[in-house]
Amino acid sequence: MQRKAWYKYLLSLPPMAYLLIFFAAPTFLMLFATFRYAGEYGGLAPWYLQEGGRLTMDLTLENWQRLVESDIYLRLFLKSIGYAVATTLICMIMGYPLALMIARSGRKHRDLLLLLVILPFWSNFLVRIYAWMIIFSPVGALTRMLNGLLDLIGAAPVTLMYSPTAMLVCLVYVHLPFMVLPLYANLEKHDFDLLDAAQDLGAGKWRRFWLITWPLSLPGITAGSILVFIPVLGMFAIPDLLGGTNGIMIGNVIKQQFMESRDWPFGSVLSMVLTVTAVAVVLLGSRLGARREGR
Amino acid sequence: MMIKKNLLLWISAALVYLFLYLPLVIVVVFSFNDSRLNAEWVGFTWKWYGKLLHNREMLGAAMNSLIIATVSAGAATILGTLAGMAMSQNRLRFLPLLVLAPIAMPEILMGVSLLLLFIMVNMTLGLLSIMLAHITFCIGFVALSVQARMSSMDPALVEAARDLGASPWRCFREITLPLLMPGILAGGLMAFTLSIDDFVITFFTAGVGSSTLPLQIYSMVKIAVTPEVNAVSTLLMLLTLVVIVGASRLSPAIFRGE
Amino acid sequence: MKSLLGLLLLLLATPVFAGEELHVFNWNDYMSEEVVAGFEKSCNCKVVQDYYSGTEEMMAKLLAGASGYDLVVPTQNAVQALIQQGFLEKLDKGTLSNIKNQDPGFLNRSYDPGNVYSLPYAYTTTLIGFNEQRLKEQGIEPTSWAVIFDPQILEKIKGKVTVMDDADEVFGAALKYLGYSVNDADEKHLLEAQQVIMKAKPYWAAFNSSSYIKELTVGNIWVAHGYSSDMVQARNDAREAKRDFTVNFILPKEGAVLALDNMVIPKDAKNKKLALQFIDFLMDGKNAAGLSNDVGAGNPNAAALPFINPELKQLAAIFPDQEVLATLETLEATSAKIRRLKNKLWTEIKLK
Repeated sequence: MQRKAWYKYLLSLPPMAYLLIFFAAPTFLMLFATFRYAGEYGGLAPWYLQEGGRLTMDLTLENWQRLVESDIYLRLFLKSIGYAVATTLICMIMGYPLALMIARSGRKHRDLLLLLVILPFWSNFLVRIYAWMIIFSPVGALTRMLNGLLDLIGAAPVTLMYSPTAMLVCLVYVHLPFMVLPLYANLEKHDFDLLDAAQDLGAGKWRRFWLITWPLSLPGITAGSILVFIPVLGMFAIPDLLGGTNGIMIGNVIKQQFMESRDWPFGSVLSMVLTVTAVAVVLLGSRLGARREGR
Repeated sequence: MMIKKNLLLWISAALVYLFLYLPLVIVVVFSFNDSRLNAEWVGFTWKWYGKLLHNREMLGAAMNSLIIATVSAGAATILGTLAGMAMSQNRLRFLPLLVLAPIAMPEILMGVSLLLLFIMVNMTLGLLSIMLAHITFCIGFVALSVQARMSSMDPALVEAARDLGASPWRCFREITLPLLMPGILAGGLMAFTLSIDDFVITFFTAGVGSSTLPLQIYSMVKIAVTPEVNAVSTLLMLLTLVVIVGASRLSPAIFRGE
Repeated sequence: MKSLLGLLLLLLATPVFAGEELHVFNWNDYMSEEVVAGFEKSCNCKVVQDYYSGTEEMMAKLLAGASGYDLVVPTQNAVQALIQQGFLEKLDKGTLSNIKNQDPGFLNRSYDPGNVYSLPYAYTTTLIGFNEQRLKEQGIEPTSWAVIFDPQILEKIKGKVTVMDDADEVFGAALKYLGYSVNDADEKHLLEAQQVIMKAKPYWAAFNSSSYIKELTVGNIWVAHGYSSDMVQARNDAREAKRDFTVNFILPKEGAVLALDNMVIPKDAKNKKLALQFIDFLMDGKNAAGLSNDVGAGNPNAAALPFINPELKQLAAIFPDQEVLATLETLEATSAKIRRLKNKLWTEIKLK
């Protein structure tokens, strides 16, 4: 086993070096920024004061204090986590059958089916959201059809546009491939002999799924959930466009700090908290996944 | 291969495809719509494609986007695969954190912090700075996808080959890589998709005159996103589809991990 | 793979244009394409435009030092901040022969006394756009900010109203509605404004700064708070689409926010001479008029007036007379403390 270790470490060198330069270094710049004052006209104030040739540090904890001053930021975080959990679950429910179907179809069609999952995403994000806005529009065909049906059964008409439903639909839509792709990569390599054997032993369809396919696919689900959960947590464009008057998430407030109130230090504080939350959730998730897998 | 086709599975998968393609149909259909408004069907026209042909800015931006996405996805796939392989070995504690954190970091923060870095080292902002930024956020996606594939790969295969005297490189090329290929491919596709669609990070790391398609489109948001955008999106999807299907026809082995 | 890489490198290395380039950083859709083409012809150069959609976006990029722009078009409060940061080049007015065309009413403002660094480019107001027929059916006569703030009126048009997704603009409108100045920084007054907004919010469909033109034109939204130039666009679009309604707009009687956009040259601009040439070209009456005719913006250029579409010219909301002008206020650069307070109040509004 000794001989394996060195080349594994060697493997990790290039990505590690790259991420240290282009991710860790800038992140430390921003972490440092959380202790600095905001510049009067935006950006950051200098972190030192020059008095009679003497340099003194001009740093502060007030940005962190503001975070805990009131409960609005906590409530925002909880709300965002709620959306992220809901989106992840829906993506899982929708993505699983799709990934399974692709993994079980003939080799010839697999590439094409996989490509079809991702194709819509080469059109522009905004164009896709606008397409959904056309669908949700009160004068749009879908809404009218739906309300026609509701009218038939005597229910009150609904507004889809600018509702949490619309937001959730788009969140799921935008992140679905990030669930399907890793899930497929996992399901694809499952050994069908196992399933055949189980069938020979008389296990039913569902039993085979729960006892074999599902546990084997847990690493794929974990990877997919991470890829969906985290970006949703920091999302701001969809709440901006479709959220109506209440659809605000933590991402929007972070964006406000950088783009509207010119408060980079506080924006950095919120971002750091978000990043740490997300990484914690992910590490926890993958540890759970690993434990179950190693059962 | 003897699994019976499961009707329920196929129906639910078909429904998900329907969900994925419903808005897309609208995007494509409205690129032929004879109304600038992009709101309801008026009549058929080719004029948006004609207009697009003369829209220097939009075509230039589309070209920039393709170049950036290709290069970034390529580089991120290589780096991400290495990271994913290294990560499947539990001994490395630091690497997973370094790989996952960029996915977790809010886009704006990453954009701003990269901007600060580029300014600090006095780098001219342009295509290169955008690519460097895109590679940064794409690595994690590839790594996770590869790791998921790797973590349930049978290590006995590699060990057996090594015992039989194969060099590490040969082991990698002939066993690990082909087995990992679906994961790598999935990761690479994700990276390409993320790069071609990114707005926030690109905004901060773009320099003068290095506009990408999302930047171009967002600049139209205020007045109206004209069907020209639908037309360019349609063409872009068609182009990428042709390139990828073409490539998979030319060298099916690479794509299927055979 | 190697050949592909080679091809890419070739593409990267090929300069698109051999002549001089002028890099402009401007608001979205805020330049007449025809005028740009005219300038390119006359100077044998290429105008490369990048766009921004919010002052902070622009400031973030400029202040970080990532420039390379020769000409920037910021709004007045941003000009003030940029001057104080020592970011702008003094304009060499000797080379600007068309400077005489500028309407003196828009010169020598408090953000840049004597116009040392900036010259006015265009202006917009933030006002109320509405669906004329639908409001008439509801018996609503929009004359005041009450149409977006008074719950009694909003009751009839619930879910058909959007306001801008911009704290300064919405607070500005609410402060005006209460009879204060848009720049009022008194915490008590701001809290009052917050209450007004909170009470009206349940009746609004959304905070929307991006797609209200379309929503108005399609008929999904009946009342929208937004920029005057956008409302001109919405009105034209509705007319073009032959709707059974017309989109109209009014400046509320309490007054509103005036945004005065300016041309400035950053200190580190590479092509200052060409930038000055472009500024002079844009101040030519006929060229300046193109901005109003194509974009629907108000024009601070007196010589442009004869060339402006007469229908547009007579709209008080676009070209306010002295009396109306007196009710309009520009947003001033605010201190970090006020910005923080406003942001917190705004976050509370949105979270509620």
